[in-house]
Order: sequence, then structure tokens, then C-alpha cells
Amino acid sequence: MAMRQTPLTCSGHTRPVVDLAFSGITPYGYFLISACKDGKPMLRQGDTGDWIGTFLGHKGAVWGATLNKEATKAATAAADFTAKVWDAVSGDEVLTLAHKHIVKSVNFTQDSSCLLTGGNDKTIRIYDINKPEAEPQEITGHTSAIKKALWCNNDTQILSAADDKTVRLWDRTSTAVVKQLSFDMSVSSMEYIPDGEVLVITYGKTIAFYNALSLDLIKTVDAPASIHSASLHPDKDFFVAGGDDFKLYKYDYSTKEELESYKGHFGPVHCVRFSPDGELYASGSEDGTLRLWQTEVGKTYGLWKCVLPEEENCEGRKFEETI
Amino acid sequence: MRTPMSVLRLPRGPDPNSRGFDPDSPRFIALCSTTISSSTDTETDSVQIGEEQCARSMLRESFLRTLIAMTNKQVQFYMYERVKVNAVFVASDIDVLNFQVSDLQTPIGVQKEALLRCQDVILYSFDL
Repeated sequence: MAMRQTPLTCSGHTRPVVDLAFSGITPYGYFLISACKDGKPMLRQGDTGDWIGTFLGHKGAVWGATLNKEATKAATAAADFTAKVWDAVSGDEVLTLAHKHIVKSVNFTQDSSCLLTGGNDKTIRIYDINKPEAEPQEITGHTSAIKKALWCNNDTQILSAADDKTVRLWDRTSTAVVKQLSFDMSVSSMEYIPDGEVLVITYGKTIAFYNALSLDLIKTVDAPASIHSASLHPDKDFFVAGGDDFKLYKYDYSTKEELESYKGHFGPVHCVRFSPDGELYASGSEDGTLRLWQTEVGKTYGLWKCVLPEEENCEGRKFEETI
Repeated sequence: MRTPMSVLRLPRGPDPNSRGFDPDSPRFIALCSTTISSSTDTETDSVQIGEEQCARSMLRESFLRTLIAMTNKQVQFYMYERVKVNAVFVASDIDVLNFQVSDLQTPIGVQKEALLRCQDVILYSFDL
């Protein structure tokens, strides 16, 4: 007997949710941060969606948010021309990094010592968090606003996507471009999977997978609607995508077959990410909510509880998932 | 006809009265470095903790009393960008994030009722 997906809705934001990120798995579970146009990014328990706290301080829409692996630090990028670093345990603001324009993207290195920022001033910046007064290292080259900047290849290189329809790979030390990808349209999102060096890029209705080191194309998949964000499962068997038609799509990564699609959001889906254990994925929408979706519908996990009549044991059973 | 997956409860939403980050949560207690160390320390530490707590309580109480004393009085607020404004203080919210003021005198006119963002205030002064 197949079960129907019951998404868990996390309310609290009052404007569109534009970005979200998970931490790694910590002794206290894993965590989720959401960036919202209401200027108040929130921290939630990753497996339940329970609200933990709101980072207060930004004076404009927050466009990007990230957590370090241990979920001890958070960073946010906002329309108030600042990027902020926060203590993710106490909620206190630790650093404000002034920029010359809207900041769109923030990313920590693995050891949380450096923060990468990118935004509308077309410049990538690297800040040493332990020496915030020092001038950041700057990387220029993009001719339009930067949407996303991510560390890759063990923090020795940087991947950036901008409205100039390019994705560029930079060397951190020389700040020179190593490789560049050009598209016919703006890239809507980018996700980097260190384990396996996979880069997930979305543009138009396409979800594309690249080798993050060589920028060689692995495969592309086309969706029924314009896609804003996609995420690859840690085991690389599925990927999920969401966009303009308000739906979440789940695909088989090997066969490219569309497995399921879910309605639920009341607005376009702006961001979607798998949890670090792959058991669920979270989506953020124009409707101001975050929704958590089970990867394996029917499994007992987090707040989802498999309830079957009599004494049938449903743990570990695979349910037939039909479109 | 598929049965919808059961849920134990819905995710907890934000507390309208606070910014969260519960200091009683195990994660906070374990990871937040504060000047107050754990209760399993030596007696001297317990004495220090006690003294520190006394000082904290005193300061907190004084602060709250200044808020009471300020009510309905003219207060001068010195803020960022060399902003200096006068207003009648009415109230503060519980996290001291916003001050409610009346007759806020600004360079472009008097605002009958206004909220001042506390993080924008550097210092404020009033006559007792």
C-alpha cells in the first residue's frame, strides 16, 4: 500500500523565502537556515522544521544564507549592502561586513575561517573571519551581478554564477579564471556537492550536472516548467527541482526519469535542498513558507510516523511510488 | 487511493515574543561560552558565579528602573549618522529592540508616534 506525501509546512516568514541551506550533521542533529525578503533569516531544526531562532539585525531583504558544517556559525547576505556573520547557537550578530551594493551570496570554507561573498557589485570577496578589519581579497571579472559564489575543490577554488550568463571557476591564490561556462540565459541556481565533485546548475527548464573540477558536462534533464533550484541527493540516486509552476519534481539521477511531482506551495519555488542525510528535502517559496518533503514516503523519520493497521511493521519497506 | 502519510505534529513556529535561541537548550548550554561556568566546578567558582549573578541582577534592575523613570519624559537620543533627536519616551518592547516614542522631533517635522530601532541608538539621556 503506497503512502501519499505529506509535506510539513514551516511558517513564520512574512515574505518570499529566497534561499535556504542545511548544516552538516552535528551531535545535536542538523539545522536549516532560511533567507527571506522580510529581512529576518530563521534557524530551524533540520529534521523537524521546528523554529529555533531568528537572526535580527538586517535592514533589508536577505538574499542568501548559509551555515557552517558544525552549525555554530551562520552568515547572511542582504539588500542592506551588508553580509553578516552570526553565532548560530546564541543568535548574536558577530560581524557586519559592509559592501558597496546588494550582497546575494555567502559561503564558509570547511574550517569556517573564511567567508566568500558575492553580489550586485560584480566582485567576489574573501574575508578572513578572524581578521575582519583586514581588507578582503577581491576577485573581479564578472560583468553582471553575481548570484552565487561557492568554495570548491577543498577551498582552493571558487565557483561563481552571475547574471552575465556565465559560471566561472577561479583559483583562490592567483584569483585568475581557470575555466568558464557560457549559457544562453541566466543561471538560476547552483549547488556544489564536494563528495564526487558534482556541480548542479539550473537555467530555463534545464537541470544540468557538471564535473566541478573540469566543468565538463555530465548530463542535462529538462523539466516541464522553468526551474529556479535543484538539489542532488547525497547518494546521487535522485535529484529534486522546483520552479515557476509551484511544484516539486523528483527525478531518478541515472535514468533521468521523472518519478514524482508534488503540489503544495502557493507560489513559485525559489530554493530546494536535500538534507545532509538525504532523508528529506526542504523547499522555500514565494508564498513565504518552507516545506519539508520525505525522500522515501512512508518511512518513519522526524515528525513523519508510519501508522499501519494491526501489527504490520512498515519500517524499511519500500513503497511503490507512482507519478 | 493512497493514504496520506501520518505526522506526529506540525513543526513549531516562531515565538512572537522573542527571537528564540533558548538558553536552556542542551546545545546552548554545551556550546555557548559565557562567563558563567558549569555548576560542577569548585567552591571558589561557585562564589564567583554568585557574585557575578548578583552584579548582573543589580545592573538589570537598574536598567529596568531607568526605563520606568523615563516614561513620559523628554529624552534625547543620539544615533548613528550624527542623528540627535528628542522625543517623549513611552515604552520599550521586551527584548529592547524597539522604543515607542511620542512627538519625535525630526529635521523634517514632528512625528506624533514613532518606533525607534534600539540598535540604531548609541546613547540616550534624560533629566530625572
